[in-house]
Amino acid sequence: MSIQVLINGLATGAVYALIATGFALIFNVLKFSNFSHGATMTVAAFVAYFLVSAKGYGIVPTLIIGALAGGLVAFCGEFIGFRRILKNHSSATYFFVSSITLGTLYEGLVTIKVGSNFFNYPQFFEKSTVELGKVVISTTDLMMLIISTVALGILAFVIQKTRIGRALRAVSFDRDTAQLMGIDSTRIIQFTFVVSGVIAGLAGVFLGIKYTLYPSLGSLVVKGFIASVIGGLGSLTGAVIGAVLLGLVETLLLSIMGSGYSTIATFAIMLVFLLLRPRGIAGSNVQEKA
Amino acid sequence: MKKKLLAILMTMAMTFSLAACGSDSGETKEDSGGGKETSGDEIVIGCLQDITGSTSGLGISVQKGAQAAVDEINENGGIDGKDVVLKTYDTKGDVTEAVNAYITAVTVDEVSLVVGPPVANIANAIKETSESYDTPVMGFALDPTCQLKEDGSPYKNMFCFQPSATSQGQIMAAFALENELKTFGVLYNQENSYSVSLLDPFLDELKANDITVDENLIVAYGAADADYKTLLEPLVSAGVDAIYCPNYTQQLVAIKTAADELGYEGKLVCGLDAAPAFNTTYGGDCSNVYYINNINTDDPTTIEMSDEVADDVSAVNKYFLGYDVVMIAKECIEEAGLEDADALRDTIANVNGYKGLTGTITMDPETHMPKDMSMFMYTYDNQTPVMLGEFGI
Repeated sequence: MSIQVLINGLATGAVYALIATGFALIFNVLKFSNFSHGATMTVAAFVAYFLVSAKGYGIVPTLIIGALAGGLVAFCGEFIGFRRILKNHSSATYFFVSSITLGTLYEGLVTIKVGSNFFNYPQFFEKSTVELGKVVISTTDLMMLIISTVALGILAFVIQKTRIGRALRAVSFDRDTAQLMGIDSTRIIQFTFVVSGVIAGLAGVFLGIKYTLYPSLGSLVVKGFIASVIGGLGSLTGAVIGAVLLGLVETLLLSIMGSGYSTIATFAIMLVFLLLRPRGIAGSNVQEKA
Repeated sequence: MKKKLLAILMTMAMTFSLAACGSDSGETKEDSGGGKETSGDEIVIGCLQDITGSTSGLGISVQKGAQAAVDEINENGGIDGKDVVLKTYDTKGDVTEAVNAYITAVTVDEVSLVVGPPVANIANAIKETSESYDTPVMGFALDPTCQLKEDGSPYKNMFCFQPSATSQGQIMAAFALENELKTFGVLYNQENSYSVSLLDPFLDELKANDITVDENLIVAYGAADADYKTLLEPLVSAGVDAIYCPNYTQQLVAIKTAADELGYEGKLVCGLDAAPAFNTTYGGDCSNVYYINNINTDDPTTIEMSDEVADDVSAVNKYFLGYDVVMIAKECIEEAGLEDADALRDTIANVNGYKGLTGTITMDPETHMPKDMSMFMYTYDNQTPVMLGEFGI
């Protein structure tokens, strides 16, 4: 196994980690799997693409635009798709159905705008590889790995060390009690969606750079979902570990076994893992799973 | 109760308004010929293409070329005094949609013939269905299995108007050998008939010249795979002179990106889909890409027509294929008429020496594909196509 394959696996895992964390954040607070997350990634990635194409921006503005677009889409999505269900204290099933509907709507809107065609981000780096000693590493992989790690680090800091992060944890533990303690749980949920959207925007741009950009790009959200299940639904640390594991296992098996068998083997390994440890790596206190 | 009623009414109102919007746009897209159905004064030609989907760039280009030919025919008095109408059907790059669209074209709209897609998967999907009807499909699917049954006899309605995969694979291999490339790797899509059909002719031609490609360096991928970097890694590590990539444009863009990111400095030998707009879609230096093409961009007529459509068409070679095939259809209809389906098919199968924008086409009635047709090999100078020569087998 070469270093490049390892780096590639880690970079893929890091992008999966972004998706999985976005998933886990919403699950933590509202106890449902937000399947509009994938389409949010797609919308944000396309917004960033069109602005980049028109203005000729570099990678940093592209990521910022993608993140902002993701945050905005998630903010609107929370209001349109989930706020009323939340106010009515409806069951998780309604959230689940609403998230699928919202995701389908986003993807449909993107398809109307761009057709079913594919697009490619411009070349962001003059040199496509970086030489570290004798090792040649893809610049894009390195960038994805570093930025994803930094983004996840910032997220961990916000959640663990800031006032709003503590409020988020309180709401995720018990929304009604947190409200009684003076926390505006609606605002916190709104904040959670925006953060999740920002992360989705970053992941969308990364996936677009890695795999080209097309309206059904968001279907890769399944990888994030699998990673968050392996990690233990609702656990952020678990989601990150699960995602990196999934990225590494996928890449290594593809490298060793080639196409076809590697996909089967990856999912077989994941199934066996969940058979042995149904609550995932973190095995947290999440009770309700949609 | 009032709220419930209001919600139901609003939902219904939204549904009807959206449905109304949807039906308008659908008509515009489906009927590029103006929405006319078959009548005594018109000849309706179906155009079955990927207007949406990952290969839509190719389908739209064929459709525009076909439409240009139809417009030219109508300006010059039509066919036997009848106007020609081109009715487009979107396969959406999906085999089920393609079969449904083909059946609609031949049974509901009763088109006289169908301009087929340049995509082998779609042609493969409709070949069996086409046997139940009498409508010829004049397409460009270079996989011979789209035209030939297992016993070697041709499907009666399926025709291909560009060199077969066998010819193209052989030409690409011969070209590579002429350019001193000696070691090869292959990355192909095992679930795509276009990709698969180009594999063996290339390898066989190499073998005929005493070059064998190591089995470990022939890497297959499927629709679910997107991690080209990992797939390419063994080929790049082996330091091969060239990687043969018979794939569609979307995959080629991702493969070229991955190869660059792995620091690969050898050549990529690609099929038709690395022709423009691959270069502009990729957006970087394409100087290490070799590709095959139907058209000679050094030819003055080709240059003039290319310039006219360059802003409007993403794949100029497919535009010319669409144009040529409608012009061939015109000649065949004028010669055989539309009354006798067997006579029309026979005329199409025996097209002889038609001089088109994509070369001189003589059909082989045994295979329903052209015989002895040469093609052109190209590379890029950064992003500018450079013609390297004409090659034939």
